Amino acid sequence: MKKSIAKRPIFMVALINVLAFALLFIYRTPLNYQTLYVGGSILALNLVTYTIIRYYRLGDEYLFLIVSMLITIGVVMICRINYSLGIAQVGWYLIAICVFYLVFAAYRFIGFWGRLRWLYLALAIGLFIATQIIGTTINGAKNWIVIGGYSFQTSEVIKILFIFFLSCYFGGERDGFVFNIKEKYFITLMTYAFMGFLILQREWGFTLLIFATYFIMLYIYENDRLLLLANLLAAFFVGFAGYKLLRHIQIRIQNWINPWDDIANTGYQITQSLFAIAAGGFFGRGLGLGSPEVIPEVYSDFIFAAICEEMGIFGGVAIILLYLIFMYRGLKIALALGDGFDKSISLGISIMFGFQTFIIIGGVIKFIPLTGITLPFISYGGSSLVTSFVSLGILQAISAKGGAE
Amino acid sequence: MINKRIIRVIFMFTLMFIMLIGYMTYFEIFQSEAVHQNPYNKRQWAYEEDITRGSILDRGGVVLAHSQGTERIYSYGPLYSHVIGYNSKIYGKTMLESKYNKYLLGQDILTQVFNLSGDKKVGYDVTLTIDHELQRFAAKRMGGYSGAVVALNPKTGEVLALVSKPDFDPSDQNLVENWINLTESEKFPLLPRATSGLYAPGSTFKIITSAAAVENGLGDEEYMDYGTVKIGNTEFQNYGKKAGGALDLKKAFAISSNTYFCSLGAKLGGEKLLAFAEAFGFNRVFDFDLPLEKSRFPAAKGDEDTAALAIGQGEMLATPMQMAMAAAAVANEGVIMKPHIVKNIKNSLGVTIDETKPQQLYRAMTAQTAEKISQMMVDAVKSGTGTAARISTITVAGKTGTAENEFLGREKNKEHTWFVGFAPAQNPEIVIAVMLEYSGKTGGDLAAPMARDIIMHYFGK
Repeated sequence: MKKSIAKRPIFMVALINVLAFALLFIYRTPLNYQTLYVGGSILALNLVTYTIIRYYRLGDEYLFLIVSMLITIGVVMICRINYSLGIAQVGWYLIAICVFYLVFAAYRFIGFWGRLRWLYLALAIGLFIATQIIGTTINGAKNWIVIGGYSFQTSEVIKILFIFFLSCYFGGERDGFVFNIKEKYFITLMTYAFMGFLILQREWGFTLLIFATYFIMLYIYENDRLLLLANLLAAFFVGFAGYKLLRHIQIRIQNWINPWDDIANTGYQITQSLFAIAAGGFFGRGLGLGSPEVIPEVYSDFIFAAICEEMGIFGGVAIILLYLIFMYRGLKIALALGDGFDKSISLGISIMFGFQTFIIIGGVIKFIPLTGITLPFISYGGSSLVTSFVSLGILQAISAKGGAE
Repeated sequence: MINKRIIRVIFMFTLMFIMLIGYMTYFEIFQSEAVHQNPYNKRQWAYEEDITRGSILDRGGVVLAHSQGTERIYSYGPLYSHVIGYNSKIYGKTMLESKYNKYLLGQDILTQVFNLSGDKKVGYDVTLTIDHELQRFAAKRMGGYSGAVVALNPKTGEVLALVSKPDFDPSDQNLVENWINLTESEKFPLLPRATSGLYAPGSTFKIITSAAAVENGLGDEEYMDYGTVKIGNTEFQNYGKKAGGALDLKKAFAISSNTYFCSLGAKLGGEKLLAFAEAFGFNRVFDFDLPLEKSRFPAAKGDEDTAALAIGQGEMLATPMQMAMAAAAVANEGVIMKPHIVKNIKNSLGVTIDETKPQQLYRAMTAQTAEKISQMMVDAVKSGTGTAARISTITVAGKTGTAENEFLGREKNKEHTWFVGFAPAQNPEIVIAVMLEYSGKTGGDLAAPMARDIIMHYFGK
């Protein structure tokens, strides 16, 4: 059955792209033709990739549809805040798409990913140590490595390694021993080791993300409810100890409960974010008509506040729903698969996306304490974008396999 | 089993995301307004630079405040400092400038959606129910006294005049130059006395005591007035210890006999008095256009307490606005219409954005009781303590009051004086409350003639 072009969802993505970039173009005087190139490149990349996925039957087409919408909104907002970053983001998007195809092919046609657990562990630990030794501190977190002028955030890579590492266990028989330790305890121990390293790097957001992902995976696979309970207690204990001992965490909790007492200092970021959301109202001030640039780090962690200011609460809700559908598609892929490595990987990736979105959006709107982490596919940043596309490539490959079998 | 749990996880995430959406909606509806107005919000300043703030006009269209560029000009200087307030980048916004800021800036959902052009925007104009001529006259007539004048239309609740003294020049320049003086002065020029000042209402409260008595079947009580009466361990006195002889309610009201009302109050009891005070608006709040302090009436702890409360003394405090509302209840057949000061809001094209419609606020008493009290108030002006408010061509109803305060016993001649009333008594068009702080004379000597002149001015005599 043929649908008319206008009824296909990709048309909506293209329409938003054209409208938003046209608005950006017209508003700024003198006219900046780069806007059109940026919009055009994004549109072309989206259309080409979508067409390839569709015609070569590379699995679930909705995953990429949602992502292309998120990318479009992300680049529009980044361009609106800072032009040069917007152009850089287009470059990262091009690289990310290439990585996406590579990962897709590698995952689709190589079958032994489930047997490399020691490699993932070694790589992760290597990265941790490298970050500690040659890492650079950006924004109070020592989690960047600079290679040849480009810096990348190691924790973004580590989170994918972590999913692979977990899946080697959850996707396998789950009753082996490592050094005379039952496998499930070994995994637990390693998770806490990951978290320990991340805490050393002041990566509160990633620490939370790793734990939440591990916990939900354990909930899904593990029948030992006592272990779940023990984990919950441990998390509570660690959180409480952190609150008592670490000023970083105390400040975050304080600023969650009441940021208004210290607007000028520690509460500055979150209050600026709330000012932006309040300014937007339900319908937003309109693209280019707000002042999101006064929020620190608005192009990365706080981009959701900028979206709410200019596209309104309704715009923000639409973004949240897109993520929800994306995650639902991911978990649906996992549901269709039999027990195994693929199922576990697709679970891990979907759950991690879900939590990452929840943690940063919840933080920016002050629903939960703020822990810095990027908003997948929307925030500016090469590491975040490329690793998000690595995850997408894997999901895509798994869904393609499922379709082929 | 695994798939079952995955489905539960899907539900969990759906719930989490719905909570995010719910919280955002909650934030927008209940918190965003306060957040938006936060003085640290740089956006607000930025927007205001681009908007010509709307004007504020009296009911007849006289411009009371307008903007030239970013400068706010108050045409009548201090006259509206306690109504319009001020709009200062440094000291913030108060009164109507604060409460109606959103409209004065022309920011509501409609303009946000439809005003897509980047042009210089013009805010909405706010028209008040205030009668500028009356306001001007009332302020002038008050002279150098500290205090307040409140004038209402009892049938609609429209505020016709709202004067608080001392006042101050609300221009930004004056605030910058005199801020320390204004905030530290012992005369408290920044206090809007008419709406936020709390005073013992004295004998004007006898209006409410009388209403309570009539409605509780004590309208025909008679007492002998010997000039003083002892209730519990306290001796209550009439003004100047004058003995009134045998009194009924009507006569006692006209000469404002304290001994009569103390006895009546004690018989009535604290609970019934409290119930009526609350029916008239004590201990209650409503959303007025300006910050309105809650008038207080305590639960009495025995007959002595009740007796003191019945004559408007004791731990009771009322704003001049509250006492004007009490008189308005009598004037409007027992119903207090909701006081309001903003008549309508129009955009720069003259399209009405919002309009205040008269609304019933409280029913204080039955129409029959109101009729009785009204007659008593007419008598008080005709032949009682309020004769100074008499006008030959218009029947004025009123009640005077002279209230003790914290200076009692230490310094003489520091009483607050009151007059509340309305005219014409048969078909009231204006309710007035005059309160002068620490003025040291009786309400009959000082406040009543002031009220008379203001009423005469209103009717153009």
